[in-house]
Amino acid sequence: MAEVMLRTEGLTKRYGALTAVKDLSLEVYQGEVLGLLGPNGAGKTTSIHMICGLLRPDAGRVIPLWGSAKVRGVPVTGNGRDVRARIGVCPQKIVLWDRLTCLEQLQFIGQMYGLGGQEARRRGDRLLEELDLADKRNKQARTLSGGMQRRLNLLMALVHDPELVVLDEPEAGLDPQSRVKVREYIQSLARIKTVIVTTHNMDEADRVADRVAIIDHGELLVVDTPEALKRRVGEGDALEIDFKGVEDDQAESRACAALSPLYDDAGRGITAIDAAHGTLTVHALNAVAILPAILEALAAAGLQPGEVHLRQNTLEDVFIRLTGRRLRE
Amino acid sequence: MKLLAIFYKTLREQKRDLLLLILSLIFAPVFVLLYRAWFPSGSTTYGVLILNQDAGAQTADGATVSAGEQISEALKALTYANGSPMLSVRQVTDRGAAELLLRDREAALLVVIPPDLTASIEAARLGQAVEASPVTLVGDLTNPYYAVAAVLASSAVDQYIQAATSQERPIPFAEEPLGASAARTEFEIYVPGLLVFATMMMMFTVAMTVVREAESGTLRRLQMACVSSFDLLGGISAAMVLIGVAAVLLTIATAWAIGFRSQGPMWLVVVVGAMTSVSIVGVGLIIASLSRTVTQAFLIANFPLALFMFFSSAVFPVPRVTLFTVGGRAIGLYDVLPPTHAVAALNKVLTLGAGLGGVIYELAALAILSAVYFAAGVWLFSRTHLRAD
Repeated sequence: MAEVMLRTEGLTKRYGALTAVKDLSLEVYQGEVLGLLGPNGAGKTTSIHMICGLLRPDAGRVIPLWGSAKVRGVPVTGNGRDVRARIGVCPQKIVLWDRLTCLEQLQFIGQMYGLGGQEARRRGDRLLEELDLADKRNKQARTLSGGMQRRLNLLMALVHDPELVVLDEPEAGLDPQSRVKVREYIQSLARIKTVIVTTHNMDEADRVADRVAIIDHGELLVVDTPEALKRRVGEGDALEIDFKGVEDDQAESRACAALSPLYDDAGRGITAIDAAHGTLTVHALNAVAILPAILEALAAAGLQPGEVHLRQNTLEDVFIRLTGRRLRE
Repeated sequence: MKLLAIFYKTLREQKRDLLLLILSLIFAPVFVLLYRAWFPSGSTTYGVLILNQDAGAQTADGATVSAGEQISEALKALTYANGSPMLSVRQVTDRGAAELLLRDREAALLVVIPPDLTASIEAARLGQAVEASPVTLVGDLTNPYYAVAAVLASSAVDQYIQAATSQERPIPFAEEPLGASAARTEFEIYVPGLLVFATMMMMFTVAMTVVREAESGTLRRLQMACVSSFDLLGGISAAMVLIGVAAVLLTIATAWAIGFRSQGPMWLVVVVGAMTSVSIVGVGLIIASLSRTVTQAFLIANFPLALFMFFSSAVFPVPRVTLFTVGGRAIGLYDVLPPTHAVAALNKVLTLGAGLGGVIYELAALAILSAVYFAAGVWLFSRTHLRAD
């Protein structure tokens, strides 16, 4: 089990009558990517602002557990300046100095974190290489495309080699090409740093995060690995049986009839079957366990499926189960 | 209907940007009140110093008279139609000290009454030949108040002598300008004020530069990097002071190229410009503290700019409103504005040829005010923009 790197205890933030974050208690482990997943306005950004010391909590505290802070348990706000300097934050909004070049931005922010000019420049150059911005090193930020600016925005959080990297909606507004680059880059970071990523995109959370904390209306609903979350609160697995290659117009309906004995409301068998476009999607709490019985029933009916895919439920399913709403609602 | 909807929407927006609305509404009324404070009687009272060296004389009937004293009384008796005095007359005994007051513009005119004035008047009255010493008018000819004060005073003196002697100008008048003030063209008179104006414009640049950091979010980045208020505001301010000095140098160079010449050392002009820039940077930080957006900073900056322009004598002279006196030096209401001292110092250096010793008070006042404004700006900005919410 990895060491706990950061702990929040009962973090609460209120704005008048609105409680933006309510009693958030969370542990972040060294070397993991923790995804904070929730719809817009769920309290994700408020939470990370408190974690980074940019926002003073009304109650609770943030306890960083690295370096000297590990011993002292220094709250991030107040006397935790040395701790804050070990955090790299990539805000949701693009925050750059319009009239500085890419390299100047990185060098400058590196110097603000206490690096020497040459060292900051060297690191800036390396980071620009890593996110394919090397050819733009001498271009002013205002001349870059939105996707490039967002990539540079991300690099600004890394130039001082922080222990903890906090990325607020890093894929927001990215074109598909940049999204792939950024996603791969975050995954590469995870090997050497601890990363907190906020997102309202369940696909992003699923692909990037080692663990996902689902937040809604300022409350932490659940935190676990994406797989465990989907298994624990989702409606089980989905088995996709493809009959596209089979020369039988009635294959789908015959398959439905053949599988009907396997329905079981108690949860041990099939819970639902959807048929569409030559594909049968069989829902079951544990599809793997009943897969032999399914294949046997199909064979007995003289049906030979083209392909069989087993997939898990998505985090969207989990969110719906927890809140009764979709993430985008 | 659309017009009406836009009308209501615009009013609603204005109401919700209360600070700007208040500034827009009170701008002119405040200046009306301030102008009334300048001119309580509705007219200016000009400061006149009298150095009365008149020895007096005995008349034929044995009485002792002093024309100098009577002239002093005549000057004091000059009033506007509403009864307010035209001249504020002060007796002095030391010409050097009197000239200092003229240089500091605490008075517009010095009237030096010669020792033989009464005797000369008496001789003229008796029809004897007169070899009279002149009544001397001393002043900074670049001070716009000098001309008015000189005309009023010389007319009163002339009338007194004419009445006493029944002769036209038996006693001559002489004029002694301070420094090179007599040789200054109208263009040269405006240069000191323009130099201060060049630095005053920096308050826009400072306020907008600093607020841009807050508005764009880069300030948050710097906060995350644990950049101290001192480093952040000190760094920005140092750059702005440098630009302020560059503006002063450029203004001087431009004026020089078209014929302006300084009577005093140029390095002193640069020092005054730099110190003024520091105080203006402080004002810029105060404006930034009150602003959330660059546009707001721009609009708010107009208020102190107008205040400084009108009350520092950079554009035209304003009468002193003395609050109290320290060590014989009158401290005025507008002395809390750094440009007041900058204008005074630059007038002395550029026009009257003063050196460091001549402007030491102004430099000290500028240093104190710069420190106060800068500290206030840093403190306010830290409170409003640099604290965790």
